[in-house]
Amino acid sequence: MANFIVKAKNMTKKFDELTVIDGWDIEIEKGQRVVILGPSGCGKTTFLKILSGLQKVDSGSIERRYERLGFVFQEPRLIPWKSVEENLLFISNDRARITEMLMNMRLKGFENYLPSQLSGGMKQRVNLARALIVDPDLLILDEPFGSLDMPVKFGIIEDINSLWNKRQFTIIMVTHDTKEAISLADRILILSPRPSKIMSDMKINLSVNQRDISEPAFIEIESSLMKKIFSI
Amino acid sequence: MKIFIGIIIFLLAWQFFSIILNVPLILPTPFDTFVSLEHLFSQVETYQALTSTVWESVLVLVLVVIVGIPIGFLMGISNTLYELFRPAIMIIQAVPVISWLALVIFLWGIGWKGPVLISFLSLLPLSIFTTASGVKNIDKNLIEMAKTYRVPGRKIVKTIYFGSLLPFIVATIEVSIGDVWKVIIVSEYLCGGSGIGVLISWARQYVDVPRVYALTIIAVSLGIVSERIVTLFFKKMMVKWQISS
Repeated sequence: MANFIVKAKNMTKKFDELTVIDGWDIEIEKGQRVVILGPSGCGKTTFLKILSGLQKVDSGSIERRYERLGFVFQEPRLIPWKSVEENLLFISNDRARITEMLMNMRLKGFENYLPSQLSGGMKQRVNLARALIVDPDLLILDEPFGSLDMPVKFGIIEDINSLWNKRQFTIIMVTHDTKEAISLADRILILSPRPSKIMSDMKINLSVNQRDISEPAFIEIESSLMKKIFSI
Repeated sequence: MKIFIGIIIFLLAWQFFSIILNVPLILPTPFDTFVSLEHLFSQVETYQALTSTVWESVLVLVLVVIVGIPIGFLMGISNTLYELFRPAIMIIQAVPVISWLALVIFLWGIGWKGPVLISFLSLLPLSIFTTASGVKNIDKNLIEMAKTYRVPGRKIVKTIYFGSLLPFIVATIEVSIGDVWKVIIVSEYLCGGSGIGVLISWARQYVDVPRVYALTIIAVSLGIVSERIVTLFFKKMMVKWQISS
């Protein structure tokens, strides 16, 4: 299939003698929203670093077909002595785009705030805004909601889904949380413990309205997802 | 207000102990010292000495910053350079002032160069190690973030490296200012051609103890005032620079 954005064949990554990623075969289509679920230390973040070019594979291959990458880090990684706007200007000089993103991420009015003056949720919104100002073909999210409470977390996921509905960029997110995964994903990959393999590749067919955690379809998918996780 | 009360208490204690001791050669009274101080301010030589000491101190500070910070920066980003340079810098740090003194007297004799070199070598290791430690403590996550977004290297150095280093640079300057007067005056005393240290040396030769005390008051005042002014100036300048970088 020529429409992929990432394609890995027998991809393996080791740290010294420790194999973390063990022969993954994976193809991710353009515009897909893929969520990777797996236990701690199974190489989820390592995979994201390989995707972003920060790390190399030890054997096998990976082909990347994106031009612009947005990366939402687990912790916001904002420059502490720079304001919100300056943090975004560090990545892009496109002021119009920055203004648009500040609006979309509900950060208007906070341009001149320093990161230390923002709540955890707002910092993550800046983190997300920074990833989106580059107009990414591929948006990577590395457990971005770990420290956020439920309303903030699902508010941000709703924002991401609504931006995705306007322009279908590819999303790859890593998380431990099944609810987060189902709220966002078209496809969920479940990993085994280290050395990790892809144990399950699950399609999620939910409409926009069904991506509410109280919807029966959502609960049903979560239940089958949990069964798969516990069977591994 | 409290500071003035503190000064008055100090002066009263000084007066009390000088009367009790009654050995003017060791502890003259505050009155004798201030008479000597007044006399010093009526002499042109005092102002010349002050200018000389201030000029030498500023020169040392500038040299320490422009030499120490770049070397510290390189040592911070490269472990190889750190290990290569560390022994030499530790040796410079450990060499007693008196050994440098012998060297500079052979090299230049009495004059301004000796105190400047001795003070520079005394303060250089501190600025290098403080800067290197600052670079080593830079948040690697910020660097990784910048690389992920393919931010140009120059921008990464200017914004993240130098931005993270600023508190260390300010700390280096603050500590150096506190020390530079002491080292310069000692060096002037030992091998200087002019300066407060030289005046102290002359006063000692004439056993003019109130004059030694008066000159010490000038040196202490110079240290405190300059530390406050320069720290304030650097902090303002650094904040401006941090915002614009």
